[in-house]
Amino acid sequence: MDKNNMIDIYDLDAPLFIAWQINAECNLGCLHCCEEAGHSMPDKLSREETFNVLKQIVDLKIPYVAFSGGEPLLHPYIFEMCEFLRKNSVNLKIETNGEYIDEEKADKMLSLNLRSVQISLDGVTPSAHEKLRLGGNWKKATNACRLLKSKGVNIEIVFVPTKFNIHEIGQIIDFAYSLGVYGIYTGKIMRIGRAAKNWDILCPSDQEYKTFFDTLNEKVKQYEGKMKVYFYPYDVIEELKYRRMFPAASLLVIPNGKVKLIGPLPFLCGDLKKQKLTQVWKNYRTSWQKPEVQEFINRLLENPKLLAESNKWIELFH
Amino acid sequence: MIKMKLKEFVKTRNEKFGVVIFDTLKEKVFVANETGKDIVDLLQKGYSLENMIQSLSDLYNKEPAEIKKDILSFLDSLKSNSLIEV
Repeated sequence: MDKNNMIDIYDLDAPLFIAWQINAECNLGCLHCCEEAGHSMPDKLSREETFNVLKQIVDLKIPYVAFSGGEPLLHPYIFEMCEFLRKNSVNLKIETNGEYIDEEKADKMLSLNLRSVQISLDGVTPSAHEKLRLGGNWKKATNACRLLKSKGVNIEIVFVPTKFNIHEIGQIIDFAYSLGVYGIYTGKIMRIGRAAKNWDILCPSDQEYKTFFDTLNEKVKQYEGKMKVYFYPYDVIEELKYRRMFPAASLLVIPNGKVKLIGPLPFLCGDLKKQKLTQVWKNYRTSWQKPEVQEFINRLLENPKLLAESNKWIELFH
Repeated sequence: MIKMKLKEFVKTRNEKFGVVIFDTLKEKVFVANETGKDIVDLLQKGYSLENMIQSLSDLYNKEPAEIKKDILSFLDSLKSNSLIEV
């Protein structure tokens, strides 16, 4: 048996993972939001279209789905979508800012036996968290963690390092452990979406990153066997260099049903309003070799500022 | 009689080459060949080790001792990657 995260996507008839941004509405205006969320996207998938996609996910035996947004808990029928997938044994993660999690939602999340609820926490105190997450409320986010933990829901925390909060990495990991979470995820801030626009005020220095990763390496050892401390050491440019060679076995669906090749690139490889998931998967597999994609990546490697165009979509298939 | 099962958040999917085993909790993917697929299939049906040996010995028309070695090796691999529980 081989552990092989570089699985050849041409060997697979369907993706193994769907990252689905189910809405664009958000109560916050985070300075580092990759999706530039906060607005309502026109031409959202209808209820019928949404459940059609969900049914295809089940039929294709796609094992794992993550719902994000925007803020996914603002989606009008997110829990019906969750129920559909869980009743059909699809594992599911919800990525949320946590601010809408109350007793009722926590009970619902428990009953769904989710793989996890992932909550964004960008500071060990309110100051950094709320400076980055405009309109955000640190207390609500941390209370959501405590509430979910008390119910027995599996929780993960994601922490995005910026100039404002990178020095808090050690403390946030200790804090995450005190909350009883399953794991904490972090890595270099991605220069896409609103983060690209605010890059100069957000991006940590090389020295800050060095200290950050040194601390992370220590914390991985400290919490081994107690809590998962996971960090991705590469930036978005390094990720793209890797993914052009070894595309992930996953699809990124945005709220209007279009499918992005990968978050940092502007390319769309399908439209689930018009195409079956199997067709979109075929498109995805061939898209990486398209000259316009390769050329864009080459230009981007020379000029990372092009990452700011990641949300100016370009259709690869008409 | 030893019975094993895949852990709660471990999912599998049959493919042309064999089987994909996806630990969705750790977000790690493993692949195995046709024999691995057959073992995983029996595991999911709740077969004990003894029944697996008998079943695959019949399927492949091989001596039980030979099959046992392959099965134990594969199960060890699943166990070392924390994909199964006894």
